[in-house]
Amino acid sequence: MSAAARIDDLSFAHPGAALPALERVSLSIPSGESVALLGPSGAGKTTLLALLDGRLQGWRGRVSVLGTAFYPDRAPPRPCRPDTGFVFQEFALVERSTVLRNVLNGRLGRMPPLRALSGQASAHDMTVVRAALADCGIADLAERRVDSLSGGQRQRVAIARCLAQEPRLILADEPVSNLDPARAGEILSLLTGAARMRGATALFSSHQPDLARRFAQRIIGMRNGRIVFDVPTSELDEDATADLYRDAGPMSGIGLRAVR
Amino acid sequence: MRLGGFAANAVIAGAILWSLVTTDVELSRLVSAGPRIADFLGRMFPPDPTVMREIVKGSAETLRIAILGSVGAVVLSVPLGILASETMVAPALFRPVRTLLAFVRAIPLILVAMLMVGAVGLGPLPGIIAIAFHATGMLAKFYAEAIDGVSRAPIAALESAGAGPLARLRHAIWPQMAPVVARDTIFRFELNLRESLILGIVGAGGIGFYIQTYVRSFQYDKAASVTIAVVVMVIAIEAVNVALRRRFA
Repeated sequence: MSAAARIDDLSFAHPGAALPALERVSLSIPSGESVALLGPSGAGKTTLLALLDGRLQGWRGRVSVLGTAFYPDRAPPRPCRPDTGFVFQEFALVERSTVLRNVLNGRLGRMPPLRALSGQASAHDMTVVRAALADCGIADLAERRVDSLSGGQRQRVAIARCLAQEPRLILADEPVSNLDPARAGEILSLLTGAARMRGATALFSSHQPDLARRFAQRIIGMRNGRIVFDVPTSELDEDATADLYRDAGPMSGIGLRAVR
Repeated sequence: MRLGGFAANAVIAGAILWSLVTTDVELSRLVSAGPRIADFLGRMFPPDPTVMREIVKGSAETLRIAILGSVGAVVLSVPLGILASETMVAPALFRPVRTLLAFVRAIPLILVAMLMVGAVGLGPLPGIIAIAFHATGMLAKFYAEAIDGVSRAPIAALESAGAGPLARLRHAIWPQMAPVVARDTIFRFELNLRESLILGIVGAGGIGFYIQTYVRSFQYDKAASVTIAVVVMVIAIEAVNVALRRRFA
């Protein structure tokens, strides 16, 4: 099976930071797999995801995503950006625009420049967008403005926008951090289910080991910018998970008690 | 802190005293001017209603100067606002553009109008050019601030989805800044209209021309009618502006 993402000996420090955010990280994610990144705040999960999304430069090592080699001195070429979808932790939606417009925004990278500027969607764009809205259960909210939606509804819009890109790799940065356990399960089920249905690879970060177990085939544990373990979900060691959150504060491993 | 406060008060008091002492302010002249002021006011009333045609003509021209000047300012401010925004362009570009806008703002409108009257002759054209030029300095700055004030997260999301810079401006930045731009443009239009009222005094068209003509020819009753029209116009503009700004709040 080919790799959706491959990282070799990657290190990265944010400008002005004393400590590296990622240190000598290596991993390979096969196409079609659902993978969870587990670890306390500051472990390097968000940085790793942003880097795989092509938003960070100045790193050391080797990175390739969906067969495209990344270079540390420049952003990846724009035509390959839509192949990687990103679900942002705080949704990153245009609050004053409608749900439909926000989800259509996910198609902009697939449109010719003039049509992207005018925002005129083709019949195919509309088919993809309608399918994404229906899959996320928000077809009836299409004409509502985002600033009138609840947190859970916004999360679904963010996922629908990502799916509208028709991505082959879905990256999600703590997609359920603001939701109650029942909603969190629903959203992760939606995200990983939609990825599976489309044959896409999913990599999501989470603070919740029990949810990672339920929705990922593989779990990568991170701490202080390093990978501590990388195992199939069935082999997840509970002590290793507990160690991940040791001294990390009471809120860093929500749901940890459930695994112990 | 207390020393700083004392120093500030001393500077303010010093500035007031200096102005009073060194300016030729003779309050006795104000007292002796009483009868003359009463005479002016007496000659203003009752206002002469026969100048209604001139009032309508002058008001319409003032309105046209304000509208065309505002359109000119918006047309100039859109590209300049983008070029003055740190979200859209590199520091090497937005810094000189901001400096240029500050320079434009620093030139008084009446001076621009006088120069334009000299350059293109009397009439509304120099007024329109002066308003467009002067308003651009402020409006382009407002537009740049509106661009820079938007949330960056949706812009990053669209960039991540592969959208180009213009598509990001249209679909992530514009929907966020639109209400601010509308509010600022309406505010600037109100200022433009107020300023157009006096441009006629330097020959740059509009109702101000009639005020100047009637005052200089001692026809105070006619000047009073024009002044009442100006006051009504300003109050009306302000009411419309308040209503519109409430809508965009």
